[in-house]
Amino acid sequence: MELTKEQKIKLYTNMVRVRKLDEMMVKGILAGKTLAFFHSQQGQEAVGVGACTFLRKDDFIFYSHRGHGISKLLPKGVPSRAIIAEHYGKATGTCGGISGFHTSDMELGIPGISGTLGGDFVIAAGLGIAAKMRGKGQVVVCIQGEGTYGRGTFHETMLMAANWKLPVIWGVENNLYMGCTPISEIHPKENFADLAVGYGVPALVVDGQDVIAVHEAFQTAVDRARAGEGPSMIECKTYRIRSHAEGIPDLRITEPRPQEEIEAWKKRDPINLFQEKLLKEGILTPVNVEWIDREATKEMEEAERVATEDPLPDKAVLQKALYAD
Amino acid sequence: MRQITYREAINEALEEEMTRDETVFIIGEFVSNEPFGTHKGLYAKFGKKRVRDTAISEAAIVGSCVGAALAGYRPIARLDFMEFLIIAADEVLHKAAKWRFCHGGKQAIPIVYRIGIGGYIGGSVEHSQCLESIIMHTPGLKLAIPATPYDAKGLLKTAIRDNNPVVFLEHRLLLGVKGEVPDEEYTIPFGVADIKREGKDITVVATGYMVQLTMDVANQLQERGISVEVLDPRTLEPLDIETIVSSVRKTRRVVIVDEDTMRCGVTGEIGMQVLEKAFDDLDAPIRRVAAANLPIPGGIMEKYVLPQPQDIADAIGEVLGLKERLTVRPLGRFKFDMEHMKSPK
Repeated sequence: MELTKEQKIKLYTNMVRVRKLDEMMVKGILAGKTLAFFHSQQGQEAVGVGACTFLRKDDFIFYSHRGHGISKLLPKGVPSRAIIAEHYGKATGTCGGISGFHTSDMELGIPGISGTLGGDFVIAAGLGIAAKMRGKGQVVVCIQGEGTYGRGTFHETMLMAANWKLPVIWGVENNLYMGCTPISEIHPKENFADLAVGYGVPALVVDGQDVIAVHEAFQTAVDRARAGEGPSMIECKTYRIRSHAEGIPDLRITEPRPQEEIEAWKKRDPINLFQEKLLKEGILTPVNVEWIDREATKEMEEAERVATEDPLPDKAVLQKALYAD
Repeated sequence: MRQITYREAINEALEEEMTRDETVFIIGEFVSNEPFGTHKGLYAKFGKKRVRDTAISEAAIVGSCVGAALAGYRPIARLDFMEFLIIAADEVLHKAAKWRFCHGGKQAIPIVYRIGIGGYIGGSVEHSQCLESIIMHTPGLKLAIPATPYDAKGLLKTAIRDNNPVVFLEHRLLLGVKGEVPDEEYTIPFGVADIKREGKDITVVATGYMVQLTMDVANQLQERGISVEVLDPRTLEPLDIETIVSSVRKTRRVVIVDEDTMRCGVTGEIGMQVLEKAFDDLDAPIRRVAAANLPIPGGIMEKYVLPQPQDIADAIGEVLGLKERLTVRPLGRFKFDMEHMKSPK
């Protein structure tokens, strides 16, 4: 189904918001306010935004360390202030300041994130079992980086999800590098989506810089899952503009990543591409573009200001966090 | 009171809780016809939606429980050997144990991991371990090790209703043991130790199959005028250290027995807690009996590694300061009770 004008503007606005928050998180590292680390996702906005903006509130999502999930979390409704506050170790953070960088909110369908990569696959399958047993049409969207698809947990989960037709959509956010290792060093084929074939799961490769293409691919998979037809796998080809993590050298094996490669991908920036398209279609005007940019900047500046002033958690929360009553 | 086996007690707890609460389901490898006989009738009554057979996929079994629990279900995973749980170490030690904590303590993760444990079956290195020390060591997991049919049923019902991940260890050699179990509904709270046998000369702390070995030794020593108190903590997390300490204050002597490897094990932990709380009440040093710091060999060699009745008797004699050795009967060859296999379903 063709998206409405408002829906397209929402996708665009979400991508801008994610970019502004990402830039704010980078600043947080430079200012020494972020207590742990940050893995910028700049350049990859279209994947999470395209996949998650129009999910139901009771659908579940899984995100990865890339951008600490912001391209999925903002579209799902998590306030930017809570994300910044968690990174600043504040009591108002997405996990009460305990986690350093995780976000969890079951009201919004966000169970959390595994610290070990590949740990989320099996948990996503469990939510899929629950969703299927409950029978309310909920789906689980689990988007992980391509390197994570090396984990054995993926095989076990895929077998389970395919066999029981679980309503889970596996997203491969393929930014062509696993840390500083180009994927050609770790994967025998060009497309990770081929992995789905052996399980009889439909798979698709899409341009991860095209938010509409991403949205349409996920929407088809979501509709399928809601109808009880089981899992799908979608690989989005994308590219991260900044280093694997802030503050570490941006390498390709042992040499700096080729500048011409980075520049070529910058020309395919997902926000610019979509902006051009919307301007051409007359859906946005240059004035709208500037307003969206300004509003997103304001949102993140205000969120950062409030998070900075937010209180630190009390030590007593640790003991209470261990066991549920 | 009626007598039923440990296996039947487990089966009753599962059947009753699955009837009471439709969010409870079982997942694992051939759980529809669990080879140790604890699932009799469950598949027929609850169907494949709630008794879910999987491939050999321990990470997916153990980890999917976390996801289903987060979404409001109460999964029970059955793994026939402790070694299978350790295949899914990330899922049990990180995801199940720590997911709630690291996400701010707002979620409930009600899971029971029912795990078959134990040696004395000649099963060799990877089919004989208990590994409860690893579980007890990990913050965020509760740990129950029932020694009798009564405890198995009452503790399992509590485990299923608990809003946290519980590792529930069932020793293979206890499955056929009979004991009194009331007809009426009951549960046993976690963190409440049980004095399995009252005594005045010495306290022996033990769990699981070690309770049975210790009871047997205690009964033999009674004939020689030695009165042994056998104390079963029943859950190691939470641990009822108060009851252990008050028993030690009474007898002033203690031996701690555990089937897992001694090094960094349960006996060291409980022993140290006793020292911290009741050092001045002890009339003799603490002695520990546990598996030697070796892998568990197969066949007859396992008796040189796993705790034997004579080891328990020797420790008791030493703590009591006896010059003469307290000789007790050695273990006979194990015999599996496989009655249940004659009529599957």
